[in-house]
Amino acid sequence: MRPAELNEAAMTEAAEPNGSTRRSKGRPRKSDVAAPSLSKILNLVRAGEATTRQEIERASELGRAIVTDRLNTLTALGLVDESELGVASGGRAPRLVRFNKDAGLVLVATLDQTALGVALSDLSGKLLTEHHEALDLSAPAQETLDRLEGLFEWILEKSARSEMVWGIGISVPSPVQAPSGGLLSNSPPILPSWDGTPYVERLIQTFRAPVWLRSSVETMAMGEFHEGEASVNETMLLVKVGKRIGAGLVVDGQLYRGAKGAAGLIGQLPVTSDGRTGPLELLAGSDTIAQEGRAAAMDGESPYLADILARGGDITSIDVGQAAQAGDSTAMEIVSRSGRLIGHVVATLANMLNPSKIVLSGSIAQTNDILLAAVREVVYGESHPMVTRDLSISASRLGSSAGLVGGAAVVVESLFDPDWLRSWITTGSPLSSPQFEKVLDLTMSAIELVEEGESDVPISLGAKPAGPRKTDLKSREADT
Amino acid sequence: MTGAPDKIISGLGPHGERAAAPSRITLSDADIAAARNRNFSVAVVIHTLNSDWSRQSMAGIVGTLEECGARVEEVVDCNFDANSQIEALDRLSREQVDAVVSIPVANSAVAEAHRNVARTGKRLILLDNVPTGLLPGRDYTSLVSADNFGLGLIGAECLSQHVAEGGQVGILTYGIDFFATNEREIAFARWMKANRPDLSVQTRRFTSLETTGQTTEDLIEEFPDLAGLFVVWDIPAMEAIRVLDRRKAEVPVSTVDLGREVAIDLAGEGRTVGIAAQQPYAQGVAVAQTAILSLLGVPVPGWTALPGVSVTRSNVVESYRMVWNTDAPTQILPGSQGALSR
Repeated sequence: MRPAELNEAAMTEAAEPNGSTRRSKGRPRKSDVAAPSLSKILNLVRAGEATTRQEIERASELGRAIVTDRLNTLTALGLVDESELGVASGGRAPRLVRFNKDAGLVLVATLDQTALGVALSDLSGKLLTEHHEALDLSAPAQETLDRLEGLFEWILEKSARSEMVWGIGISVPSPVQAPSGGLLSNSPPILPSWDGTPYVERLIQTFRAPVWLRSSVETMAMGEFHEGEASVNETMLLVKVGKRIGAGLVVDGQLYRGAKGAAGLIGQLPVTSDGRTGPLELLAGSDTIAQEGRAAAMDGESPYLADILARGGDITSIDVGQAAQAGDSTAMEIVSRSGRLIGHVVATLANMLNPSKIVLSGSIAQTNDILLAAVREVVYGESHPMVTRDLSISASRLGSSAGLVGGAAVVVESLFDPDWLRSWITTGSPLSSPQFEKVLDLTMSAIELVEEGESDVPISLGAKPAGPRKTDLKSREADT
Repeated sequence: MTGAPDKIISGLGPHGERAAAPSRITLSDADIAAARNRNFSVAVVIHTLNSDWSRQSMAGIVGTLEECGARVEEVVDCNFDANSQIEALDRLSREQVDAVVSIPVANSAVAEAHRNVARTGKRLILLDNVPTGLLPGRDYTSLVSADNFGLGLIGAECLSQHVAEGGQVGILTYGIDFFATNEREIAFARWMKANRPDLSVQTRRFTSLETTGQTTEDLIEEFPDLAGLFVVWDIPAMEAIRVLDRRKAEVPVSTVDLGREVAIDLAGEGRTVGIAAQQPYAQGVAVAQTAILSLLGVPVPGWTALPGVSVTRSNVVESYRMVWNTDAPTQILPGSQGALSR
């Protein structure tokens, strides 16, 4: 039975106890009427806020008959499961209502200047498998896209799961000028070398699933928030220190993206160090740390770094961080100076935003405690006592996994966003929603235009998208 | 005390981290003296004791721990079984050991049992694999592994020289989600795509050693013109080679781990044409060093990786001595019959 047929049967059974499928002119379809309550119940169950029918009735303020009816529908659609019994508190043990996190799969990728990460997650956002490898993002976009698709195919094949991919989350090393809501059907500009490459269209057509894009600091912030045992109403600031320095902000569990998706571009803020004034990332980023480390190695000021140089190695910012951790005084001063400059900017943000948690991320922050100590010293020294009373400042433990965990969280939250959820819940899958069907048509048309050479923009498509995966909706329908 | 020399590591860690060099976890005389005063106890939970790799890793672990005055309380052989591993880890979580060294034999199935070890305050040093979702510093202390991505690249390069243009090559890989074998498989395919786009790569997965032979049979049936085969470690590689021998299929094979049997096959001009060797003894030393340093309260890297060694017929004798810390068996010495007796 196709999902659409299943839905129709389930809705009919649920909404019309007498079996009638007739409806009078002008009356809304029963499925349309049920969508808000179905969405409400599913999200209560998904968030763990209600786990029995009684709890759902209380939390949703819906009547028993409606709750029973909607749960039957959600069960028929494969979105919840009531097979498990809870603990009895006097009478019969209640049936536990569980969200079926295995109803679909989520593909996630993080693209940064030197590495590519991919992961597969379930609908709770839990990563099932992940893989990271070195990659030069300055290579042609086509090459990177081929590699990304190849790894997505590998991870799906390796998982041996037959569920459909419900969404794809991609993290990119630049702000994403795309609205938070709605579905993407074209490729926003992310990197100059990617202009004209219909990467979103191609991913949608290859994997037959919607795509969400976010910047790397946004996904990292979401990842740290979700994996870091933070409570839902916390405010968390993530500062990524690398060649570029950026910040991501999660307010009450929601990513704050700003008017144009450009919130957190703190790397350009001017700071002054040793009489020099310049952008934060220029004076405190990993390039400067590496450069100063190299100079200290050549001058012999840092025995640790001089030893690396003598053995024929180049000095990277990670080497300087490791030297600082090992107690090399020159390296400690280089990293501390960077930490103090970052600390001044972070203190300003902390006083403005009053976060409960600040997380420092990026390899330089993770290889040593010196940068963290310097940031802490300045933030505590320059902030109002109320701001720092319960403030936690820590280094990321997730590393590059943060972007993958956060990317999965972005997809899951978008899939179950109440506005969009209402539009697909009665079909049982976002892939059969009318909006996504439209996205499929639009992206296919865009690709056909490219193939026919009629596109207005110089789009490079590269390899023709492969046929639909065996696990996608259309293939499955054809099989049955 | 130093382990393997620092060389370039090709792969990234399970969380995308860059590898720390083995020199980062060197033990000083002061560290060894401090450890001897503390009488640490360590347990080892290993996937199997029935391989050359395991025996050498254990030799590195036990030797280094003994030098530091630490007791090896127990060595558990899980025989690749997730339930045995869970049972052992649950029991060790309740016992008085300071650190546990473990090779997770599966992914999510054994994740919680490993988490529980760290929750009890014990140091947990992982070897070769990290279940998805476990984090260094929170769920485990450190991972020590070979540069498995680099091993896959070596395996591809070795095999490529023996495959004519336009052929089909097979990857025989492990069906279980395991960091080390995933990396080897991905790296092999990536190297081939980048350097030998003329070859088509077919991947087949075996879920246990017992099914390796059948998986190889199926692969040959499906692709009778197979021109090369990469197997993700040596024991299944030898199973595959036995199938190829039986079917008289002249297919060159490359693999990972310089086990005794596959080394003899390589030296004796059998089907093995190249091996990407790990350094199990040095890896064992690195594991023990990491455990001791973490027990002494010294920060240790989240991931320490050891580079692979490319082994061909021309350097198999020296490589064997270097990797195994022992003389090469007579069968691989020049002039011996080796695998020619096939």
